Amino acid sequence: MADYEDARAGVFPRKKFMDLLKSYERGSISRRHFLGVTGLGAATMALGGAMPGLFTRPAYAEGDLGNQLSIATWPNYHNPDVLQEFTDKTGVAVDVNVFGSNEEMLAKLQAGSAGWSMFVATNYTISTYQQLGFIEPLELAKLSNYDAASQAQRFANEGMVDGVVYAIPKHWGTTGFILNTARVDPKIATWKEFWDRAMTDYTGRAIVHDYQLTAIGMALKYYGYSFNSVDTTELAKAEELLMKAKPHLFGITSDYQPPLRNGDAWMSLCWVGDAKQLNRDDPNMLYVLGAEGGEIWTDFFVIPKDAPHREAAYAFLNFLLDPAIQVREAEVAGYPLTDKRAVALQPAEVVNDPILNPAAELLSALEFGAAVTLTDPNRAEIIARFKSA
Amino acid sequence: MTAALATSNEGRRKSVVTALLLAPTALWFFVLLILPMLVIIVFSLGERGPVGGYQAALTLKQYASLGSRLAAFKNTIMLAPAGTLISVLVAYPLAYFLAVKVSPRWRYGLLVLVVLPFWTSLLVRTYAWMFILSGKGLPALLAAIGFPEIQMINTPFAVLLGIVYAYMPLMVLPIFVSLEKLDKRLLDAAADLGSSPLRSFLTVTLPLSLPGVVTGSLLVFILLMGEFLIPSLLGGGKIFFIGNALVDLFLQSRNWPLGAAMSLTLVIVMLVLITLYVRLTMAASAGKSRSLP
Amino acid sequence: MRIYAWLVYFFLYMPIAVIVAFSFNSGRYAADFQGFSFAWYGRALANPFVTKALVNSLIVASVTAVLSVILGTTAALALERLRGKLRAVFDSLIYVAIMVPGVVIGIATLVALASVFDAVNSLMASLWPAAWGSAPRAGLGYGSIIAAHTLYTLSLVILVVRSRLVGMDHSLVEASADLYSTPFNTFRTITLPQLLPAIAAGFLLSFTFSFDDFIIAFFVAGPNTTLPIFVFSSIRRGVTPEINAIGTMILGVSLILLFTVQVLLRDKRQGNAAEAA
Repeated sequence: MADYEDARAGVFPRKKFMDLLKSYERGSISRRHFLGVTGLGAATMALGGAMPGLFTRPAYAEGDLGNQLSIATWPNYHNPDVLQEFTDKTGVAVDVNVFGSNEEMLAKLQAGSAGWSMFVATNYTISTYQQLGFIEPLELAKLSNYDAASQAQRFANEGMVDGVVYAIPKHWGTTGFILNTARVDPKIATWKEFWDRAMTDYTGRAIVHDYQLTAIGMALKYYGYSFNSVDTTELAKAEELLMKAKPHLFGITSDYQPPLRNGDAWMSLCWVGDAKQLNRDDPNMLYVLGAEGGEIWTDFFVIPKDAPHREAAYAFLNFLLDPAIQVREAEVAGYPLTDKRAVALQPAEVVNDPILNPAAELLSALEFGAAVTLTDPNRAEIIARFKSA
Repeated sequence: MTAALATSNEGRRKSVVTALLLAPTALWFFVLLILPMLVIIVFSLGERGPVGGYQAALTLKQYASLGSRLAAFKNTIMLAPAGTLISVLVAYPLAYFLAVKVSPRWRYGLLVLVVLPFWTSLLVRTYAWMFILSGKGLPALLAAIGFPEIQMINTPFAVLLGIVYAYMPLMVLPIFVSLEKLDKRLLDAAADLGSSPLRSFLTVTLPLSLPGVVTGSLLVFILLMGEFLIPSLLGGGKIFFIGNALVDLFLQSRNWPLGAAMSLTLVIVMLVLITLYVRLTMAASAGKSRSLP
Repeated sequence: MRIYAWLVYFFLYMPIAVIVAFSFNSGRYAADFQGFSFAWYGRALANPFVTKALVNSLIVASVTAVLSVILGTTAALALERLRGKLRAVFDSLIYVAIMVPGVVIGIATLVALASVFDAVNSLMASLWPAAWGSAPRAGLGYGSIIAAHTLYTLSLVILVVRSRLVGMDHSLVEASADLYSTPFNTFRTITLPQLLPAIAAGFLLSFTFSFDDFIIAFFVAGPNTTLPIFVFSSIRRGVTPEINAIGTMILGVSLILLFTVQVLLRDKRQGNAAEAA
């Protein structure tokens, strides 16, 4: 939320000024201003989106986009101002649905009738979604802002199946752990130490994700196995570690920022965006990529087959791919970008940030999540037993 | 003859009207209660699909593997009665105070104040405790006045507290009603016969208010059986109830047949409990009416 | 004893007070109180995610309440005339609808509706003339949340209205019939006015239930997020007092509505108190 404030304060003032000027020309400045100040404006816009036909579309809408689309995504992943700007430009209101994990989204897709126009998916889900027929090959002709050449290949490749583009990257990132060095030994550098110390001197102070990929993956790393293993004996060892650690954990949750800030928890599995936010507010928060390895990932935009408001979804995706817009989205989400054109627009301190963009040799040990982990019944069962034990 | 005809006509018309009035509700119950339950029964006999979800089959193995979520049942079966018991202990004196000690002028107003929070957002009220029990809340306050630093959130204690806080109002009501119905002349009679206040409470008041306690306990217990929010917010993913296991089975591990079998088992357990409760309270009130001429 | 009672009231209202107090915190983080400010209310109301979810919740709750009152009242009137097995079937359905936990209702409804939609959509697609473009598709959305909420709230309304019917003065209805008033006229002039407080209470209880429900909506929501779903995801993630401001507003709305219920039902307080359970 803090980022949201930063994003509101004076990014692209010139653009804002132009918008203001435009609305002034339309003669609606006072009303809009009033609505904006009272907060009623946003409510009215939402009402307009909720009741199609009640509000007419602005005159400059391009093509027949309808007035609505819905996106399924992660919490705190978008810049509200960017969404508002898209609505102002096209008359299409964006419904945002927030989910906690890829597995949760897959469950809703399997149930059917989710009604999303587009959604966010992590690399390891793409091939499964493609096989199950949940997503369609993207019509790149409709995405004039997409430039395959400007994408970092390592990340963009994960969005392709048999050379066909099904998904376009939004962010990439790493998964490591965070230490509150005011309370714990700053020299913890490996997953082995992380788990061992969590079960001994820092008992009751560590958090593990409630998410199969990383929780099981990082337990596998304790033994030096692959992050993606589905080998039953290796998984059995990982389960043993998880069960042994459970009584010592502060929590099993993917929402670890509040307890870390409150001082309840001192160390946690951590996605890089959270690490950046925590570190910015408290320099004692140290983000570590475990020496044995860990996760590197890409999050993508995908469009479901038979997506409702499909044209609007393409227009929105194209809008989000505008390098300047990507930068504004990144300011809120806090994760690094894969598009070189957008990276070029980011401030140097973001691009050179050692947390967000670690040195290349640190990245080489990291693994992309493998498709098999999403559907492997053993992994699903282990994480369920870990949580319910 | 004509009169009889008119009545039978009217009778027919009346039953047509009744049917029409009832039709939408009947449709609702069918589509949103009976049909979903039938689907759940069908699902519970199936198998987990290769990528999760449901795959048609005819097997009882999901019921056989309910044991793999034993911990959730155990947590629920242990913490739910504990929460219920504490709720009784907290609620009884308050109900007694309201029913017996407070002047009738204030009685209902105060009672409403007890019930009111129950009808407001459970989510927000539980969040309040998340906030209070976290490191910068109550523990910090206690540490400031010299107590050792203790962890409160994500413990069984936090979940128990959340449960009692959320459902205690439900306990007060039935106990209050049963105490209010109590004939005060019985207490006067007991006093006249030289019974001490404590003795008359134990021999007269308590037994007569027992139906209220039973009603309240079952009400709270039943609600706790399906609880999801309180353990998930105050338990930090470490304390799992059946409700949490169900959400996990449908949304994370995506073993829908097992989830269906678990849902069905839960509903059956609850229906048995409710039947039991109706029998018990009926027997109790029958006993009471016999003892009070 | 009096002190004990005060303590319990303190226990009941202290958390609510804490949320309200911290909603006026000017600081950036929820847990550090830094000064008094209304800023977070402004922020919450200007946040399009919040307002959108709020509007969705208001739509869902209003429609649910209206539907429940219409269906519940008519059903209560009809059940009054019904005897025997059919009556027993309906009575048990009402209790099952109220007793089955929200988690189970949510899951079962999602799975059932998904199957129904699948069948309907493939039927529509095969019957739809190709010249008209692609066939409309049924899916989860406002409708599915409203439908699932109404199952619970209409049962609630039946119970509330029925207890009023039982306590009603039937001599007036008979007198009206004796005076050759039509049944509908009798209903309009005699029965309805007497039922009105119960209907109003049923409306408000349905509204608050639907407005506050998280778990059912969590499963059956389509592309529209309701306020509790939004709050659930942000209290887990978020750390700003914005969430306290939203919580305070939610509590405020519920409390006002509930006070109204109490006032409406004050002439039969005791019966109502038992029902509120």
